[in-house]
Amino acid sequence: MTYAVEAIGLTKYYGSFLAVDHIGFQVKKGEIFGFLGPNGAGKTTTIRMLTGVSTPTDGTASIMDYDIVKQSVEAKALMGIVPDVSNVYDELSAWDNLVFTGNLYGVPKRRLEDKAEALLKRFDLYDRRSEKVRGFSRGMKRKVCIAMALVNDSEILFLDEPTSGLDVESVREIRQMVRALNEEGLTVFLTTHNLEEANQMCDRIAIMNRGKIAAIDTPERLRQIMHNVQSVEVSFKEAPMNLPEELQQMGAVSSVEKHGDKYRIFTNEPPLVLKEVWDYAEKHGLVPISINTLGPSLEDVFVKLTGREMEEELIRGGRATAQNMSRGEMR
Amino acid sequence: MSKVSKWDELRRSWVIAMNDTRIYYLRPAAIMFGVLFPFTLFLSFTVGRDVPLETLAPLLLAQTVFWASSSIAPVSIPVERRVRTFDRYLSAPLSLVSVLFGKTLAGMLYGLAISTLALLLGIFAFGTTITSVFALILGVGLASLEFSAMGIMFASIPTESPGEVMMPMNFVRIPLLFISGLYIPISQLPAIGQAAAFLSPLTHTLDLIKYGLGGSSYFGTPVNTAMLVLYTLLFIGIGISFHKRIMRTQ
Repeated sequence: MTYAVEAIGLTKYYGSFLAVDHIGFQVKKGEIFGFLGPNGAGKTTTIRMLTGVSTPTDGTASIMDYDIVKQSVEAKALMGIVPDVSNVYDELSAWDNLVFTGNLYGVPKRRLEDKAEALLKRFDLYDRRSEKVRGFSRGMKRKVCIAMALVNDSEILFLDEPTSGLDVESVREIRQMVRALNEEGLTVFLTTHNLEEANQMCDRIAIMNRGKIAAIDTPERLRQIMHNVQSVEVSFKEAPMNLPEELQQMGAVSSVEKHGDKYRIFTNEPPLVLKEVWDYAEKHGLVPISINTLGPSLEDVFVKLTGREMEEELIRGGRATAQNMSRGEMR
Repeated sequence: MSKVSKWDELRRSWVIAMNDTRIYYLRPAAIMFGVLFPFTLFLSFTVGRDVPLETLAPLLLAQTVFWASSSIAPVSIPVERRVRTFDRYLSAPLSLVSVLFGKTLAGMLYGLAISTLALLLGIFAFGTTITSVFALILGVGLASLEFSAMGIMFASIPTESPGEVMMPMNFVRIPLLFISGLYIPISQLPAIGQAAAFLSPLTHTLDLIKYGLGGSSYFGTPVNTAMLVLYTLLFIGIGISFHKRIMRTQ
């Protein structure tokens, strides 16, 4: 079977630091494959190896069966790349950026002009096609960057943190565009540290941590494998001080966490815990305000596999993106 | 998918070169080191000195081709690393050699353009005449390719700042001015100076240009040509090897 992307034992050392540690995975044609992980997990290094920008220290990777090192020209002709920083030419207009990219990929003149026009119209940039990109907003530059990645009729689109640092409206637009492109048959390889983005968009997700792949599956299956992070969330009108300890004593309870006025009771048997909580409330005359059972979220899976809190990662990611943006725009 | 031929790659190298002409030719660093520097140096060393008029044009021409050709890649490559547009070339369907060839062409064309201005100045201001078109074309053409390749070699220093490429490069470029027969004739140099002059690529550029503009050649056209070809291959080889190393290590 021909995979859109296949990596076997892909490894990258920076000096003595092992950034990517013998990873292997396959991306099927037509799927949106998410590469999820905290900052420094090795996501960007992996994408740089897959796109021919960085040479792997060990292992192989192929794009539609073309080896990225031995048949790099053929492999690279099939892909479009949107890196984590919008690497457009600020000195050129949106139109010229697309024409330059098309020429670099050998797209015939007539087809290139038709394609550039269609893409700029699709991305709502056609009216500003003659303006230099320097004056564009971040979201607009991102759209130019995505259009540049599509001008060669690429079969695989690599998107590295496509929505980082963008406003809510631009994020929504870009996600819609990516979904629409995928529905038209484009394979999408997406790296992100945004769990919700991965959950909403991806057919399958690989969770990467410290250079290794911790898990690969569909978002739903990843949630299902985390039985022990199912929970019952309960809130009482007046809770006794020792309630957490009392709840912890119940059978099948693995841990109890207090979240504001709610108590989250982690268990692999929610119905049993639900009954015990109800009995306990009746016995002690407690008035429940709310009782909910919660399935594991993708965040729970992520925390379990990477041992890091996502909120902390998002804050760090936001800072890193802001730094990258300012570095990228500095001339 | 149609196969990407060598001809296709060559055309894409040309696309890179043309893009560089639009974006980097008028950058302050390119104008300063590629245009102002050679003309200012020329004026500093000739005005007020008893220099025969017929020797002025070769001096100016050799200096302009030397400085201008070698000044584009040290500006464009670090800047493109910083704004990540260099990644566009590396991920485009052409080999690293073709990418660097495109960058070399950009420097070469800059050198040819600026040295053409210097030649016109020589013809109209100093009354210079061309006696060997072949030697002149060979000298300017090969030198622009060679010095542009030298710029590519220095631009393989893994930095995102043009200044960090220009500085070490000027440590090489400036001393070459004094050992290449530009201001002190080779025949007047001590034996060690003459040996150093022979090893300087600028010596052979000047020698060929001098011959093309009515002067005499010290080493002879075949030796000059061989040395320029040798240095071109050496700079290209080292440049490619260093850039490959960056791809492996970064």
